Amino acid sequence: MRKCRVAFKFCGCCNPYVDLSRIARYLHTIAESCNDFEIVPLASGDAGVVVILCGCSRACADRAENRIGKLATVVVAGESVDGEMVPEPELPLAVGRKLVSVLCQLKGRCNPCS
Amino acid sequence: MKSGREYRESLRKLEPEVYYLGEKVDSVVDHPAFVPHVNAAALTYDMALAPEFEELLTATSHLTGEKINRFTHIHHSHDDLIKKVKMLRAIGQQTGSCFQRCVGHDGLNAVYSITFEIDRKKGTEYHKRFIQLLRKVQSEDLMISGAMTDPKGDRRLSPSQQSDPDMYVHVVERRGDGIVVSGAKMHITGAVNSHGHLVMPTAAMRQEDADYAVCFYVPVGAPGVVHIFGRQTNDTRKWQCFLDQGNVDYGMVGGEALIVFDNVFVPWEHVFMCGEYEFAYELVERFATAHRQNYGGCKTGLADALIGAAYALAQIQGTDRASHIRDKIVEMVHLAETLYCCSIACSCQGYALPAGSYMADPLLANVTKLNVTRHVYEIARLAHDIAGGILATAPSENDWKDTKVGKYVDKYMKGVPGISAEARIRLIRLLESMTCGTALVESMHGAGSPQAQRIMIERRANLEHKKRLAEKLAKIGEQPLFVC
Repeated sequence: MRKCRVAFKFCGCCNPYVDLSRIARYLHTIAESCNDFEIVPLASGDAGVVVILCGCSRACADRAENRIGKLATVVVAGESVDGEMVPEPELPLAVGRKLVSVLCQLKGRCNPCS
Repeated sequence: MKSGREYRESLRKLEPEVYYLGEKVDSVVDHPAFVPHVNAAALTYDMALAPEFEELLTATSHLTGEKINRFTHIHHSHDDLIKKVKMLRAIGQQTGSCFQRCVGHDGLNAVYSITFEIDRKKGTEYHKRFIQLLRKVQSEDLMISGAMTDPKGDRRLSPSQQSDPDMYVHVVERRGDGIVVSGAKMHITGAVNSHGHLVMPTAAMRQEDADYAVCFYVPVGAPGVVHIFGRQTNDTRKWQCFLDQGNVDYGMVGGEALIVFDNVFVPWEHVFMCGEYEFAYELVERFATAHRQNYGGCKTGLADALIGAAYALAQIQGTDRASHIRDKIVEMVHLAETLYCCSIACSCQGYALPAGSYMADPLLANVTKLNVTRHVYEIARLAHDIAGGILATAPSENDWKDTKVGKYVDKYMKGVPGISAEARIRLIRLLESMTCGTALVESMHGAGSPQAQRIMIERRANLEHKKRLAEKLAKIGEQPLFVC
């Protein structure tokens, strides 16, 4: 069975309110340690899940084109994860938890990794 | 949607308790002190029916799918936020004065979103109740005042610490059928010529302030609601003369009043927050953001007319081709358009809230309003410079009309050939009403004083991110390639 494939889509970081790189680095760390999913480039078109990383509430990257064909998305928009407020220092952990939860749910009803 | 005439007729059916200059006012619609304010608000109705303004002044209700006046609309896109700003500029160009209706509009949007979130966390039913009110506001095209600012008493103390609890609007009794409230709201724009008041808390609250965390709607004629109308610079000119009023049809500012709530009963169906103190700050910020977003719209519209007056005066006085006058006119345009840029920018950077409605970017909205506190004063200063001292010394309309000295006034108030003294006097009076006195103060304190904007700017400044950028460039510590 192939690993779940997760891609990042950044907003462009014009004036980010939160440190998106820190979140991305943390997710890479989880991917390496838990060996349950892998990070792939969005352009590969191979990802089942996309983490949309936006530096502020404007959520510029949260567009339909970035959701089409994906089994699930996790949206970070400033200090929020899928609409729930999260203080900046806790964001990497919160996004990591959310991603793992999404992957577990997907595995329960289908196989996003195959 | 109502027309301006229907709006006036609807006001005649109401019986608000209004006092002005020590007397009880029988008819707000007919009293000369209020006529300009009623006219300005009425234009928000008539312009919505005019094809040339329909695109900006109307919207589609997300509740009913019906065409509604935009002042009753809940923003559901960036386009809605931008159109609000453009609408305000368009109306401001026509009135040259405050048209009042944006305050209630901003209140509707703030309360709409916050009640959704209170219900989600607390299991209350405020949002459902509010939607019922919103349906009525939209279908009857009501004008709602947004009543937020409390008298505040001793500013060092929180609401519950005040020696007089009425310094902040608060719940004095909870009953099976509703609540009883007391207190007051100050500086409330359009209060006497609205159909009702949307009352919101004015500051962050703590648990001990729970009785002050109250949001509700009352019709203007509700028993115990008393309106005391504020004085304005030269307000007696409204009935003592015509030409000397300057902006005869629309007056100056929005017609602000002190609203007293003397043990007012509010049925539960009109209560949208009652004790949920932890949501008070968020409600204040959302309302303040929406209202500060506006000021680069309406004030730019007013500035367009003001710049036009200064330019026309320069032409009449024969100074319009002088390089320093042209430079000052350009500077006025630059200042005004900068405000417009700010309002458009905070709208473009707005975002969706959990309720599905949209709000402007708070940091940029506060920057917008803080700029207004400076730019509008500078625009007025330049207009005064261009107009000359005659702005403060022009003879009265009565002397111009006088059979004996009128000929002198007419002779010496003339400028370049072919333009009447009357035209010059009219422009001077317009400029006076728009920049001398009450009108200018409104740009400073309307939608909150400058320090209120500074506080919100500091909260949103994200200085730690800026520090990380500097540390990376200065090679301080281990830094990743990109700081984002």
